[in-house]
Amino acid sequence: MKRPLHMVLHSTAVAVLTTGLMVVPVQSAFGHAVVTESSLSKEPVKASHATKVVLFFNSNVELSLSKVFWVSEGDVYHPADIARGKKPGELHIKLPPLESGDYAIKYKVFAADGHLTESTIRFHVAP
Amino acid sequence: MYMQGLANFIDDFLGGLILICYALVVGSVLWRAVILRRRADHPVADQAILRSTIGILRSGSIALAALQGTKLVIKGMVLWGVLGELPMADYIGTVQFQAGLARFVLALGIAWLSGRLLLEPENRSLWIWLGALCLPMVVAGAWLVHAVGRFEHREPLMLLTILHQFAAAVWFGGVAQLVALWRLGNTEESARKFWPFAVVRFGILGIGSVALLLLTGLPLAITYVDSWSGLFGTGYGSLLITKVLLLVIALGFAFMNHLAGRRWRISGESGDIKRKVPYFIEAEAFILVGILFVAATLSSQPPSEDIAGNPELTATIPEVVEMFTPRIPRITSPSHEDLIAGEAGRVAVVKKIPSVAAKEWSDYNHNISGMFLTVMGIIAMLSYVQSPGFRWANYWPLGFVGLSIFLFFRSDAETWPLGPIGFWESTFKNGEVFQHRIATTLAMVLGILEVRARTGISSQRMKYMFPILCAFGGILLLTHAHAEFELKTEYLIQSTHVTMGLLAVMMAAGRWLELRLEPVDGTLQNTAFLSTGRIAGLLAILSMFLIGNIMMYYLEPLV
Repeated sequence: MKRPLHMVLHSTAVAVLTTGLMVVPVQSAFGHAVVTESSLSKEPVKASHATKVVLFFNSNVELSLSKVFWVSEGDVYHPADIARGKKPGELHIKLPPLESGDYAIKYKVFAADGHLTESTIRFHVAP
Repeated sequence: MYMQGLANFIDDFLGGLILICYALVVGSVLWRAVILRRRADHPVADQAILRSTIGILRSGSIALAALQGTKLVIKGMVLWGVLGELPMADYIGTVQFQAGLARFVLALGIAWLSGRLLLEPENRSLWIWLGALCLPMVVAGAWLVHAVGRFEHREPLMLLTILHQFAAAVWFGGVAQLVALWRLGNTEESARKFWPFAVVRFGILGIGSVALLLLTGLPLAITYVDSWSGLFGTGYGSLLITKVLLLVIALGFAFMNHLAGRRWRISGESGDIKRKVPYFIEAEAFILVGILFVAATLSSQPPSEDIAGNPELTATIPEVVEMFTPRIPRITSPSHEDLIAGEAGRVAVVKKIPSVAAKEWSDYNHNISGMFLTVMGIIAMLSYVQSPGFRWANYWPLGFVGLSIFLFFRSDAETWPLGPIGFWESTFKNGEVFQHRIATTLAMVLGILEVRARTGISSQRMKYMFPILCAFGGILLLTHAHAEFELKTEYLIQSTHVTMGLLAVMMAAGRWLELRLEPVDGTLQNTAFLSTGRIAGLLAILSMFLIGNIMMYYLEPLV
């Protein structure tokens, strides 16, 4: 149950910001994106199995303005399919069956404050 | 990565400029409504004062529209560069684009109305229309801030942030108007008469805006930072600390102005309110500009709350302390060959190998630069000794020229003239190299200008370029990007650079005050040893000395 103070503050905020609706239509919005959790730390990628890597960002990301690559040894880039997960900020990345070795996921995501966040997650595929 | 660095830098820099212009617009409207309001027992703000107010409002709104439009275009170009394509419909569909476009259009409307107001400064209905346009412009800002991306408490945080921005705008806009009013007093008797009234009235408005700043800033800080480790171990936290420190300095100036205004009101004594307050207000403006740039940089950092629990993303307090711990500076550099040999591994995506040579190269650059500044600081202090035997010490700024030559060759070893990457390619495709190039030029210009000022051969106006360029350098440091590092490493480096940025802004304000309060010829001749101007000048030199010390002990993390 929401606390009364929060409800008052929330209602006031909504009322004031409603005036802004004249100017900016409300849509799904997002903020500066940082990965706060990754499935790679819990479920290592197995060799020769297609894998879905799940990343949790601290905000939603705009899929159409984002790109994700999986990178193999020698820094060869391969585009990866991405999809939005059920939870806010959840991003699914499809990896094809990979041979054992070192890899990286390189993501470039667009966040609500207009900042383009670019980063790398390195991982190992065990035999 | 390189594009991200440049994009972040441009974002932060434009963001800071946009905040300044926004403050000029909003602050000017409040200035007109509160400070210039007619009162029975006070002198009336005549058309000259009104036109000066409208002039700032108009310039601010035109610049705001231009910067906001530029930002939208640049953002699109950066997206195009990074993604290899620009899905235009998706970009236009983002809240960022729409809110930015709304602010652009509203700023244009305000510029047009203020143009009309210049012809009819007292037209009440035009002022009402202008205020009506300002309201949605302020509210549109809610969709351009961190809060819009939060999963929890989104609307309250958006509201708090725009109120926070509004309060800052009233303060900075008012300070800008005070500076303009003082300058107008050089030619207009009405402005001279109105000046003490404006200082006293603004004192009351200023207290209100500071109260609103604190009331809105505190819950925002608690929400976004959430913990001590978040405050001291993340970029967001360190910028917040810097912002608070700058705020305390600005409040110090505001308090002195308030006291002078009170003395004038009670006793009619107008000494300080005419001799010192105008210059304290100018120094306050320097500090407030620094705060606005820090605020813009804050918006490009992930809130501490989101990363504070992750040891890979945040630094511990001992790790931060280690960055500032005195140690023997590195005075030998790895060879250029060793450095280049390690670059392939350092920049590899998959099999990244930290380069010891690159780390030591950077340590050497920072430590030697720090030695330059420390020695310059000591000599500069000697120049304050009132004896002909120390006249030679006035040439201390020549050290900046030497420093700029050193930086040009050493800043970015992988680029021209030492490395394989061309001058233009490296300068415009890498945010960090771009900033280093600016810093190099800045150091050279600073040195030449300040030697001329300190030895009495500079023109009256050119003397002020040193504090202006110092402030610009400080702003560069406050928005310094190290995007090729991981978040924790980026923060550890940022913690030192932000501290130096803070000191550079203090140096700028101190030297500015010294020049304004010691109007002889800027060379420190014939002045009392501990006058206010001299103390300000010595504080500026102390700031430079401290910057030198931080750089002298700088130790880049190995990643």
